[in-house]
Amino acid sequence: MKSSITRAFIALVVGGALTLAAFLGAFFWAGVPDFGFVRTAEQTDSVRYQGPFVQEVDEARYLRNYVGYEADITADGTLTEGRITEAREDGVTLETDAGDVTIAAADFESAQVYGSTYGRPDWGQKIFYFHVPVAEISFIVFGFAAFYGIRFIMTRKREYDTKARVSMEVTLLFVMLTMATGILWTRAAWGVWWEWEPRLTTYFIMTLLVIGYFVLRNAVEDEERRALYAAAFGILAFIDAPISFFITRLIPSNHPVIERGGLEPPMLVTFIIAQIGMILLGYAIYQLRMGEVLLRDRIEHAKTLLER
Amino acid sequence: MELRTKEMLMSMGLYSLLTMVVYFVALSQAGAGFDPRDIAAGLLWLTFIFTSMLGLNRSLVHEKDQGCLEALLLSPVDRPVIYFAKVTGNLVFLLIVEALTIPVFAFLFLQGEAIDLRTMALIPLVLVAGSIGIAGVGTLLATMSVNTSGKDFVLAMLFIPLIYPLLLGAVMATGAAIVGTPEALGVFWTGMAWVIGYDVIMLLASYGLYEFIVGA
Repeated sequence: MKSSITRAFIALVVGGALTLAAFLGAFFWAGVPDFGFVRTAEQTDSVRYQGPFVQEVDEARYLRNYVGYEADITADGTLTEGRITEAREDGVTLETDAGDVTIAAADFESAQVYGSTYGRPDWGQKIFYFHVPVAEISFIVFGFAAFYGIRFIMTRKREYDTKARVSMEVTLLFVMLTMATGILWTRAAWGVWWEWEPRLTTYFIMTLLVIGYFVLRNAVEDEERRALYAAAFGILAFIDAPISFFITRLIPSNHPVIERGGLEPPMLVTFIIAQIGMILLGYAIYQLRMGEVLLRDRIEHAKTLLER
Repeated sequence: MELRTKEMLMSMGLYSLLTMVVYFVALSQAGAGFDPRDIAAGLLWLTFIFTSMLGLNRSLVHEKDQGCLEALLLSPVDRPVIYFAKVTGNLVFLLIVEALTIPVFAFLFLQGEAIDLRTMALIPLVLVAGSIGIAGVGTLLATMSVNTSGKDFVLAMLFIPLIYPLLLGAVMATGAAIVGTPEALGVFWTGMAWVIGYDVIMLLASYGLYEFIVGA
């Protein structure tokens, strides 16, 4: 047990140092992306105005990112000029000189959206180096909790129940951190604190499942029964994790996805350092909590021996 | 057994009627431009979820109170058989209540709306597929929650997040069937694919875990 605590402390120090390095790297080394394309009305706010710009949009569903922009839309061979006031899955509404015109998504051919490139650095993006590793760890530790649940059902050894419980506690911590950083980011990037969007919704459900795990544990008196029920529920609950992880790639979602080769080297290296650091931190938190739980058990055991 | 069937059906049926009253109150302030077809599917599945939780809880509480489950475990029957028997029981109750609820719901909320009866005929498919998932997962969870302090709350806390993917697909498919345009048919089958995929995965997992749970 002592060696695992030593390892935990080493992981804590190294992981903390790497996370700090990633933090410094994120702010002083990795590039800051610009806000990119913005609508003409916001130009005056620009720090480095880079002139008029035309964006080609080839699918109707992408137009939802351009509500409020001036656009020329070609649909069914005719060209309509106007300002996009609404974009839904089935069509887009333009405000033109002759009144509102609705264009069905089925007729859509292409669109030219007018705006300008925008030089203001997007500092909100920096949370990427923290939010993404934390979210990844939450999935990994959740997987361990389910794995230890399976091990417990197979072997009925009490240590696996303890491991599953501690893993679930770490999952809860990381899920909460992900939620907190995510909410800050959505406010900065999307302008809202919360949106019922596929990734956010499934992750919220995952949070509820992790909380439900502890509700279940606290509601069962008998120790063996509690361990079995918790293991079974942990396994069932884990089925939501892959759904939440892959959903942004399955259904159209506002949540960004990292594309292969999409990061420049300084950003990629910083991101990898942040990931390694966070894995070590997650391991350290797990081991330290585990050490505490085992120590507590020993004290309880000693107490019962003394009372005799 | 006879008596209990009647009691269960009565309580579940009346409960679903009561939710209709609550829906009426909830929708009473909606304006004239409001189209009830848009949310009909959501309201229906809301009723089914809460009614099924009532039914699941009661079906296991009865067993526990009268020591029936112990007797079943002692009898020379395989535990998977017990699981599927319980699932089937809950499924039948749920389907009967659903079959009664839908006409009442349509009578109360969808009168005078344009409804395509040909696509409405697809709704039983969603009901059966969705109810299999609800009964399968619900039976396992109710077997756990009946042995906890605060049964109802624990069941809700475990059941609702776990059933979420199924609910999403079922509401998607039912809504598409109610709206009934040709494009909606594609949405219907997407929703059905969600529900059936969920059923397969969750039934297998629940079936595998039930053996360990029921003996504890």
